[in-house]
Amino acid sequence: MVTASAMSAPSPSVQSLLRPVVSVGSVNGAPTPLAPQIAIEIDDVDFCYGASKALHDITLNIAARQVTAFIGPSGCGKSTLLRCLNRMNDLIDGARVTDGQIRIDGVNIYDPRVDVIELRKRVGMVFQKSNPFPKSIYDNITYGLRIQGESNKARLDEVVEKSLRGAALWDEIKDRLHESALGMSGGQQQRLCIARAIAVEPEIILMDEPCSALDPIATAKVEELIHDLKKQFTIVIVTHNMQQAARVSDRTAFFYLGKLIEYAETKVIFMQPANAQTEAYVSGRFG
Amino acid sequence: MKPATTTATAIYGRPTPAKRIEIGIFWLLRLCTYLVLFCAAFIFWDIGSKGGAVIFRSEAPFINVKFLTESPETLNVFDYQGEKRTLGDRAFREFKASHETEMKGVAVDPYVYSAGGIFPNIAGTVLLVLGSILIALVLGVMSAIYLSEYASDGPFIRFLRLSIINLAGVPSIVFGLFGFGLFVIAFDFGVSLLAGWLTLAFMVLPVIITASEEALKAVPKGYREGSLALGATKFQTIVTNVLPYALPGILTSSVLSIARVAGETAPIMFTAAFVMRDELPWQVQKWTDFIFQGVMALPYHIYVVASKIPQNEYTRDVQYGTAFVFLFTVAAIAMTAVILRQRLRKKYQW
Amino acid sequence: MSATTENRSLGRLPTREALLQKRRGWFFGMSGDQFVKYLFQGNATISIIVLGLITFTIFRDAVGFIPMNHASLAVYRLAGLEYVDIYREQLTTHSTMSRYLASVRAQKLDQLMNKEGLAPAAAMATLAEFDDFANRFADTINEQETLLGSMTDLVTAVKERQTVSEDIMVGKQYLLRAMAGATPERAAELQRAADVLTVEVIDFKAEFQRVLALRPEIAAANTSQVAALKALMAGAPKFADSDLQRRMEKFQGFVQGYCQEVEVTAQKMAAWDQSKPIGWLESFNAFAFGRKWVTASFWQDWYGIIPLLSGSLLIAFLALLIALPLGVAAAVYVNQVARPVEQKIIKPYIEFISAIPSVVLGFFGIAMLGETLRRVSQIPALDWVPGFPMAERLNPTTAACLLALMAIPTIFSLAEDAINNVPRSFKEASFALGATRLQTIIHIIVPAALSGIMAAILLGFGRVIGETMVVLLCAGNRIQTPDLTSGLGVIFQPVHTMTGIIAQEMGEVVRNSIHYRALFMVGVVLFLISLLINWLAQKIVRRYRISIG
Repeated sequence: MVTASAMSAPSPSVQSLLRPVVSVGSVNGAPTPLAPQIAIEIDDVDFCYGASKALHDITLNIAARQVTAFIGPSGCGKSTLLRCLNRMNDLIDGARVTDGQIRIDGVNIYDPRVDVIELRKRVGMVFQKSNPFPKSIYDNITYGLRIQGESNKARLDEVVEKSLRGAALWDEIKDRLHESALGMSGGQQQRLCIARAIAVEPEIILMDEPCSALDPIATAKVEELIHDLKKQFTIVIVTHNMQQAARVSDRTAFFYLGKLIEYAETKVIFMQPANAQTEAYVSGRFG
Repeated sequence: MKPATTTATAIYGRPTPAKRIEIGIFWLLRLCTYLVLFCAAFIFWDIGSKGGAVIFRSEAPFINVKFLTESPETLNVFDYQGEKRTLGDRAFREFKASHETEMKGVAVDPYVYSAGGIFPNIAGTVLLVLGSILIALVLGVMSAIYLSEYASDGPFIRFLRLSIINLAGVPSIVFGLFGFGLFVIAFDFGVSLLAGWLTLAFMVLPVIITASEEALKAVPKGYREGSLALGATKFQTIVTNVLPYALPGILTSSVLSIARVAGETAPIMFTAAFVMRDELPWQVQKWTDFIFQGVMALPYHIYVVASKIPQNEYTRDVQYGTAFVFLFTVAAIAMTAVILRQRLRKKYQW
Repeated sequence: MSATTENRSLGRLPTREALLQKRRGWFFGMSGDQFVKYLFQGNATISIIVLGLITFTIFRDAVGFIPMNHASLAVYRLAGLEYVDIYREQLTTHSTMSRYLASVRAQKLDQLMNKEGLAPAAAMATLAEFDDFANRFADTINEQETLLGSMTDLVTAVKERQTVSEDIMVGKQYLLRAMAGATPERAAELQRAADVLTVEVIDFKAEFQRVLALRPEIAAANTSQVAALKALMAGAPKFADSDLQRRMEKFQGFVQGYCQEVEVTAQKMAAWDQSKPIGWLESFNAFAFGRKWVTASFWQDWYGIIPLLSGSLLIAFLALLIALPLGVAAAVYVNQVARPVEQKIIKPYIEFISAIPSVVLGFFGIAMLGETLRRVSQIPALDWVPGFPMAERLNPTTAACLLALMAIPTIFSLAEDAINNVPRSFKEASFALGATRLQTIIHIIVPAALSGIMAAILLGFGRVIGETMVVLLCAGNRIQTPDLTSGLGVIFQPVHTMTGIIAQEMGEVVRNSIHYRALFMVGVVLFLISLLINWLAQKIVRRYRISIG
């Protein structure tokens, strides 16, 4: 118990970084290759949509306060895996984790005792298509807090400013907080969605191809933002764009046909991949 | 040089036979369309002008208050000292009492329901519509939410949707039959408001469920996911981030179903409607009497005065007057829905 | 950033505990979300149960019809009503012939007065000989009529006794059933009351002997009638006018046919078997293929759906005949030809038409349209139209015109949708090949939207056949099967409909009687028709989706 609560305390002290990872965090007791603290442990996960298997025996650990990128050709299961991490797949009929565990802070999130709502508060998500609610910018940001029962105006104002600053959006839109969010540009909308996600202070933010619908300038801004955010949050990003993975991520996992092919530091994946398929993909020969 | 000229001639050419046929056919189509519009307009004009003459007055208060606030009465037509007189039942009795000698042997033609007004009918219709829409909306919208947001797709749910769609096409008289067999007889409610409410409610229920579900389904999935990803519960998501955007659609469908409920006669004929009733609906001893009483209703009254009494100058007023009030009330409701829908189609396009 | 850290360490539960914390159950141990889910689910369940009940109620009340009709038909046979009806048919033929003779007389009278200019008295005098013949012909049936009358009396008396004894039996059963829950004293009282009631068991065989006893008399009457007819025909009046003479000869042919029929009837009556049981199929067929709907009759009630079904179908087809071209033309026009301003007005306007309450349309039919149509039909220049001038202002055509107006919005909206769903690229490709707008519409747009339009027509048909008030008010409500062989004029002959009969008779029937159940059977037929139409429409639309890809 003590270890657990100590671990969850997010002070990035050297001590906690050096602490040995709890035994369940490593596969078969072997020492994990990751030096930093582990945010999510994915352990031998199988996933099915109805009868068809989408993920096969995925095992990887995601490091806290780093950016982890999932890459791979379309349909390789990277988005599926991402959506497993905050159980968004629960919403799809017939979709389920058939084997293995995903642990956050040592708790298997597919344990029936786990409160999904609490999980999603801790594991935020930003979607491929920016989806600001058709409300004002202010209401969008405060949505998460309001549904948790926060109604203190001063506190809400504070969170709005903090989140918008965190998403590097404050200076652009501070004068029109009460206008409809649908009037913003695409890039701004996506950054608003990020601001909305960080407003509920998650520990982990999942990003599902956040820039695929954006122009290069907006993309650059979002990437910059991701770079800033990793100081506070663990970020997992799915991307089609390999340059983007190379630019923003610390670690990269390459998936192919529902299997994890290779997982290593981004530098390694792009410079000297161990696997021939990975090399073919990152060098643009297929995918 | 020559081919170029031909092309130019073709482009600037006079109308070919094909072109002329096209113009002719288009005119034919236009004629058909405007014929339909004309027929409908003629009905509105006929009932509007003849009924309007009954309802509206040229001097203040400009409206025939008597017609709208009194109960139907029998109209007595008789010759009195060489002139034709028409009197409603109550006035006639007084007149007869005071002119006993002169009235001896005078032939009287009675026309039922042709004097007085239609107030109890209006009241009855309003009560029927309010009650049934309330029941239908609560059940319908909640069912739609369940089907759209909670139910997972399986053979059972598919079967359910199929049966709901099919029930939407079942003739209203069959619903009347069902209401009669189940509520009036099996549950022993008798001919009553309650039986009418339930019958009408279940008649529009499939329509409301289908339309509400469509409205809910039209709300982009991203709103739900976005909300859930922020840690909202499913219920919070529905209340704060789905229903508000589906509400206009649900509203339109419910206004349309109000028009439908108000306009139907067949389902209430033997479940709720009385031909004639002296008390007004709220003149009851206790509340159970209220829901177990039959009421007079506008559409049924139109049926009665159209089919059960002769067509002549004495009965025309009540016939056209009732039709006018009914038609234009329902039309106003429907108009609201049509306009609402036009507006919303423009406003909510995600 | 430091603020965030602080917040987290102070205000928040550690992740592990947060994830595993139990939600507070606040309603019978359920969480709010679960509770709400069950609430919605409960409502959906109620809706579904009730919608299921509809089907159940209608079928439950209808199914009882078959055994009741079976019993009714059994009494019809056992009491000998069927036997008497065979005989009655012979007499009906005879009276038809009398009527024919009367029509010949009328024609002759018309000739005498209008062509030859005779005064009524003189014309009558000329016809004296013919009248004498006609009277003598009419007299040939007297004996049979007396016999039919006594047979009718005999069998109705038996049927009446049977009905009474059935009523007593029901009463007795009721008393005995009431005993089950009663106190001993009360039970004894009930028992005594039940004992007083004696249920007569009628020996139909024995009763029928009295009818059979009339056989020799019938045979004698037949022989003397045939002889009388032959003698009469020998001296049949002759006419100079060829047309009348032709009719007279035709009449003689009828009489010969009748003489043969007398024999056939006698054979049928001899072969008739009182004890032959009524099959279940027979009692069902009496409904499904029965050509008579006769209720509250002193003789025998018949519940055959054919006159109602054919009336409904006739009106529905007429209405579609009007609505279809107009609806589809309007859809094509609005979607392909009309200017945007027109579109913006016409579309909601037509949608709006569907909101006109059907009872108002029915009233309009009675008050305005029926009379107008009749006036039009009386224009002499239109006499060539079959069925003109109309005998009744309320007839299938009046109803169909109004129903067409109700079906047009349905057909229009769905057809317009279907046309709208045709991919733009089809149209553009056609234009690019140099086709005119009309050619594009005919060859590309309409074929591509065809299945959608078909579905629209089907649903329009469903709307029309299920409509009640318009047909109740405007179809004329005469229960008769439209005789399509007699030419197009049949569309101006009043009919009754399935929806109309339910609306008209439901209010007056005795609960759970055979008549009540027969009306539910009609409801079931309507229900099944609407399901069939819906199913077909969906099937068509589904196929169409696939073909568009």
